[in-house]
Amino acid sequence: MQNVSFLLFFEFIKIGLFTFGGGYASLPFLYRISEIYNWYSYSELTQMIAISGLTPGPIGLNMSTFAGFKTLGITGALIAGVGLILPMFVITTQVFRIYRKFSDNKYVNSILYFLRPTSCALITYVGYKLVYSLILKNSFSLANIDLKALFILLILFICTLKIGRNPVKYMAIGACISLLINYIKL
Amino acid sequence: MLVSLFEIFKAFFKIGAILLGGGYVIVPIMNDELVKKRNWLSSDEVLDYYCVSQCLSGIIAINMAILVGYKLRKTRGAFVSLLAMTLSPFISIMLIANAIELITNIPFIESVFYGVNIAVIVLIYLAIKDIWNKSIVDKLSALWFLLIFLLSVLKINPVILILASILSGIVLQKIKDIKNAKC
Repeated sequence: MQNVSFLLFFEFIKIGLFTFGGGYASLPFLYRISEIYNWYSYSELTQMIAISGLTPGPIGLNMSTFAGFKTLGITGALIAGVGLILPMFVITTQVFRIYRKFSDNKYVNSILYFLRPTSCALITYVGYKLVYSLILKNSFSLANIDLKALFILLILFICTLKIGRNPVKYMAIGACISLLINYIKL
Repeated sequence: MLVSLFEIFKAFFKIGAILLGGGYVIVPIMNDELVKKRNWLSSDEVLDYYCVSQCLSGIIAINMAILVGYKLRKTRGAFVSLLAMTLSPFISIMLIANAIELITNIPFIESVFYGVNIAVIVLIYLAIKDIWNKSIVDKLSALWFLLIFLLSVLKINPVILILASILSGIVLQKIKDIKNAKC
């Protein structure tokens, strides 16, 4: 138990330190945790992403406290939250004094030139794993494709042309179609 | 006049409670709450803080809260704004996480989550789309994207990939500097 809380703290310090580019950028790390330790399963992680989008607060913080909760209850949530925030507190208060020079610095910009595609690729990988598990049902054979899931996904993709990026709307539409299919037996 | 720590707490508690749907909405919320209502900073500063926060590691909205708190009352202000901002998200996640455990086995809720989970794919797609235009700007960055994606498929630790990116950024800039010095 003590060992797990220490590991948890360390893992979330890593997330606070190495996440660049917004809330979803912490996903690759949370995904890796679910792979290495048995703290929560991949499907639980998917649920965490959904609920974090529906709950007030920054999505990255919500996912992390949720993951900590899954691991060690409320203590775990506290450990994960503090671990995540600690590097930010230290770094950001230090950067304040030089922030005017900071975003113009050529090294900062050169590093970001590489970091941005890296974040993008890491999130894309999580998206790919999600499609692989939810739509393809963990195999590359056509026979295993979940047609109901594929149908919902296609409708939601069409919706992206119309309804912007409010996550609540997408989840509501996804839930409604799923219920309709289940209860009307289309 | 110094802003009291309690005032900072109240403002950021509210921001934490009304922030919904990812970090992008933080700029308009801070403009409303901190610039218009309280006059603690200018809207230019909000944009500056947003730019810096994007360059820093961690969560953009929280980095912005720390910057504002630090501007108002130095380290103590930063600590209070951070604490206040994270409090209501933390409490709501605890309540929901507890409730979820109780209801996930009900078939109706299972069916709801089946649809919601698929919506998560679309949310990730939208997140990728948002950073795509900023990150893939030329051939080298596109190549780098592909390389990192392949290395992820090979299950390389993301920490290593992030560190490699930072290192490449430094090396590329050094090479440019040397080239410029020669000219």
